[in-house]
Amino acid sequence: MIFKWFNERLEIDKFRAKFLSKTFPTHPTFLLGEMAFFSFVTLVVTGIFLGLLYEPSTKMVALFGAMVPASYASVVKIDLLPMGMIIRRIHHWSAMLMIAAVLAHLTRIYFTSAYRRPREINWFVGLGLWGITMLAAFTGYLLPYSQFSVTATSIAYFISKSVPWVGDWTSRLLFAGEFPSDATVPRFFFMHVMLVPVALLGLISLHMLILVKQKHTEPPSNRWLKESEGGRKLIGIPVWPEQTVVSMSFYLFLLFVVVLIATYIPLNPVETYGPPSPGTPVMRPDWYFLPIYGFLKLIPGDLSFSVPGGKITPETIGGVIFPGFLALVLALIPFLDRAKQDQHYMANPLRRPFMTSFGMAGIVFICMDAVSGYIDVLHIAPAKMAVYVVFATLAAWGVSFGLLRSYNRKRGSDVKT
Amino acid sequence: MVEEEKERPEEKTGISRRKFTLGVLVASVLGALGSVFTLLKVLSPGKKGGGYVTTIEPGDGLVYAKGSNAGASIQASSMKTGDAVLAYPAGKTSNPANLVQLIRIDEKDFKAPTDIALTDKGFVAYSAICTHLGCTVSWIRNDKALSASYTECFCHNSIFDPARGAKVMGGPAPIPLAQIGVKVKSNGTLVFTSGFKGPVGPQV
Repeated sequence: MIFKWFNERLEIDKFRAKFLSKTFPTHPTFLLGEMAFFSFVTLVVTGIFLGLLYEPSTKMVALFGAMVPASYASVVKIDLLPMGMIIRRIHHWSAMLMIAAVLAHLTRIYFTSAYRRPREINWFVGLGLWGITMLAAFTGYLLPYSQFSVTATSIAYFISKSVPWVGDWTSRLLFAGEFPSDATVPRFFFMHVMLVPVALLGLISLHMLILVKQKHTEPPSNRWLKESEGGRKLIGIPVWPEQTVVSMSFYLFLLFVVVLIATYIPLNPVETYGPPSPGTPVMRPDWYFLPIYGFLKLIPGDLSFSVPGGKITPETIGGVIFPGFLALVLALIPFLDRAKQDQHYMANPLRRPFMTSFGMAGIVFICMDAVSGYIDVLHIAPAKMAVYVVFATLAAWGVSFGLLRSYNRKRGSDVKT
Repeated sequence: MVEEEKERPEEKTGISRRKFTLGVLVASVLGALGSVFTLLKVLSPGKKGGGYVTTIEPGDGLVYAKGSNAGASIQASSMKTGDAVLAYPAGKTSNPANLVQLIRIDEKDFKAPTDIALTDKGFVAYSAICTHLGCTVSWIRNDKALSASYTECFCHNSIFDPARGAKVMGGPAPIPLAQIGVKVKSNGTLVFTSGFKGPVGPQV
């Protein structure tokens, strides 16, 4: 009855025939992107709860007899609410999970060469989504306004300020004037709860629309299946009901894991860090910024060049040029590794020695940079560590390339993808 | 056969309708872009109201910056050789640029380029804001050899030697921490005797 009433007005039948019966090819790794999306959903829901209670201000207020910034006080108060602390931890853990899922998804696309024609556009959209996810994490750092938040944001401010020509102006635009100042928290709050989520939502929609139009790359086994059956265009399960059931159960499982972790493992304990105060403890950024942090430690302090109108300092090299270069390499990949025809099947990474070994080298390089963040604990001199990083990267490249080459020689090279 | 075009009213002015519309469009887009520049300028405020601008003046007393006795005057007698504390000028504790590290070193250990005239009874003070990326520096005391103690910034492990004018001994910091003059008054408290002898805060 109710369905009929809506159907007469909205033609749901037609919509169902067109979209809800879309075929979803199946492969376990296709859930990585969904993992990122579902983490985003969790972040939005928990974020609404936190946003309603948070106060974006550095005005000093009394909290248990001490004067602390209002933003810090509001986060402490959230933690004291029933369910408050668990919601905040779920928010933070979901953010980590989202970044991890984005990275895993990116890695999957890379190794199966799903970025090739005709899917280059979605590769770029995906890179944009990654960048904005990092921006979301970064703007969220400052909001609790603990000692940790302020130090981390201060470091980021001076890195962005160190860029010649544009750094001074862009850093004042991003941080609302020179840091530390009272204007930064309201600006970051607005970016974190409004600009960044809206940008994410827009890009996710674009990502999905393009996906609906272009479909997934299928597992190679589908090709043989189709040849034996003959005539089918795409093998998979329909969006409704099968894929929806799979996705929903996957989300519920994911939520279960996140809640479990958030219950038992504390994260960003603002009460332990305390409000901003003189004295900086030993602190390292969250894991997804570790490669940049580690790379900064490897660059000698006197490595700087004079350029007309400014100076390129180690901070610019480590904090801006280095991640910019990595992003550029990723953005260029669809142009470097091209296919003459449209690619509709996942490539086998074992069959692509050059690209696979290049990817392995990249992963090892990033991981070694992250390890470099700990050279003070490991008691390794920066110069020595830099040698290790280069050596490990080259070794990863050489070894994986050599192994894959001999593997392919044995198997013959009848399939070249 | 080519049909002769009818005479249109715009031909009298010499501007076609399409060209005129295009011109208006371009002009309005340029105007809108101009206003975006102004908006961006408004959104990136200038130097005032932020950054590391010190307000220490000679004669300001030194007070503890943290701990249970934060805000209380530092007594010279409470610090032995090899001790260091974070200090603020009295009454100016809300400005992070005013944070200094007060260290007591054996007077014999001072070497160039330390400005000996700015030290008193082994007390020497430097800006506590790392010149790399603005974290607060910490004192690493070496109990076996007090003269081997040093100042370190835990953020990126810059190391400074306070006995040599806070010279950079390692890590990414580009310049030494700025020295500032201190003196022990007759009542045993400490006061600043000068401003910072160098730039304060990150040098970017």
